[in-house]
Amino acid sequence: MSATEGRQGQGPTDIRAYRSIQLWIDTVDNMYHLSEAEWEGRLQLVQQFCEAEGKDPDEIIAEARSDRAEKIDYMRHLKRFVKTLTPNPMLAHDYENVVRSFFINNGARVVTKPYPDVYNRTE
Amino acid sequence: MEFLEAVGKRRSVRWFKTWEPVPMEKVQRILEVVRMTTCPGNLQPWRVVVVERDKLDSKVRDQLLACDNWQGAHTQAPVWIYFYADPEGARPEVFANRTKELVGVGALPAAFGWSSQAIDNAIFQGESMPAGMPAINELLHGLPYETSANVAYAETVGACAVATLAAVNEGLGACLHMIAAPSKQEEVKRLLGVPAHFVPVWQLLIGYPAEDPDAGGMRPRLPFEQTFSYQQWGEPFPRDQQVVAELEAEGLPQPTGEPKPHRFDELRYLARMFGYPV
Repeated sequence: MSATEGRQGQGPTDIRAYRSIQLWIDTVDNMYHLSEAEWEGRLQLVQQFCEAEGKDPDEIIAEARSDRAEKIDYMRHLKRFVKTLTPNPMLAHDYENVVRSFFINNGARVVTKPYPDVYNRTE
Repeated sequence: MEFLEAVGKRRSVRWFKTWEPVPMEKVQRILEVVRMTTCPGNLQPWRVVVVERDKLDSKVRDQLLACDNWQGAHTQAPVWIYFYADPEGARPEVFANRTKELVGVGALPAAFGWSSQAIDNAIFQGESMPAGMPAINELLHGLPYETSANVAYAETVGACAVATLAAVNEGLGACLHMIAAPSKQEEVKRLLGVPAHFVPVWQLLIGYPAEDPDAGGMRPRLPFEQTFSYQQWGEPFPRDQQVVAELEAEGLPQPTGEPKPHRFDELRYLARMFGYPV
């Protein structure tokens, strides 16, 4: 199963109404033209992350972009979240990237890394 | 590779075949070219550290990558060439020694007024240079250390540009990067054992491109007329389209302002291959 297709759970119909979700879809599709099936999987994943955080997508983006010193470290939360979805580290990385894409395309600061074996060749 | 072809084909490559090492012979060829780079006063103030990513201690590698915010091209490139400028290499006494060398090899002609004595008088006594000579007394007599650092930095930037073209000439992809976030430059110096007074300039990332070497096509450029003046500032240099066409035929393409077809598909698949978000 890929990171973005065929995941089980509630459909993402409502989540598309959020401004941050619209911006994400518009920005990514403007460049990459993802299929509807891929979006379904992506939206489902972000919705699950939002539910785990107990916040809606716009609230999460607003907090992630805030200047407060005590702002929430969503990337740390994300790492914990994907571990609840799969024990497979590569798949977890893919899941993280979906949510990272949501953050990045909403202007939130996110450090990205490739799969570890891209640079981690001496271990 | 011809000069115009190297300039025309050069792109900042940001996706590397992380699995394909760069032969050290190619790296040496780049360094040998850098050694010949033009430099006022023949100062050669650049100091370079070549790092093979896969031969680094894994902890040091991760620290260096973290100092550069885990930039994508940095993690992928198999070879990192760190360029530093040594302000000590641009101090007045070095200028004096190097320019005297240039007099000795016949580069700076006595016909223009160059002599070892004239150089010493200008640099160390502040004596003005006669007509026909550069006013090195004004530039170098009592030269502040910060100016030496600026001179060394400027000359090293030029060396970086030549190194980049030399890498293209070797069939490699190359990208000039910040060495590190400004707040992490000292940490990189410590990790590489670089003297504290060296000024960080750029790092040249090299490797075989994982993306099309054309990397989406020629990047947008400022209009020619906006950049180049003739006789006085603001009078555009007259641009002959015939010359433009000739250069294009010789390997110097013109920017289209648009990415090449399928560029974003390429980026999408590259991101997936390496594990980056899209």
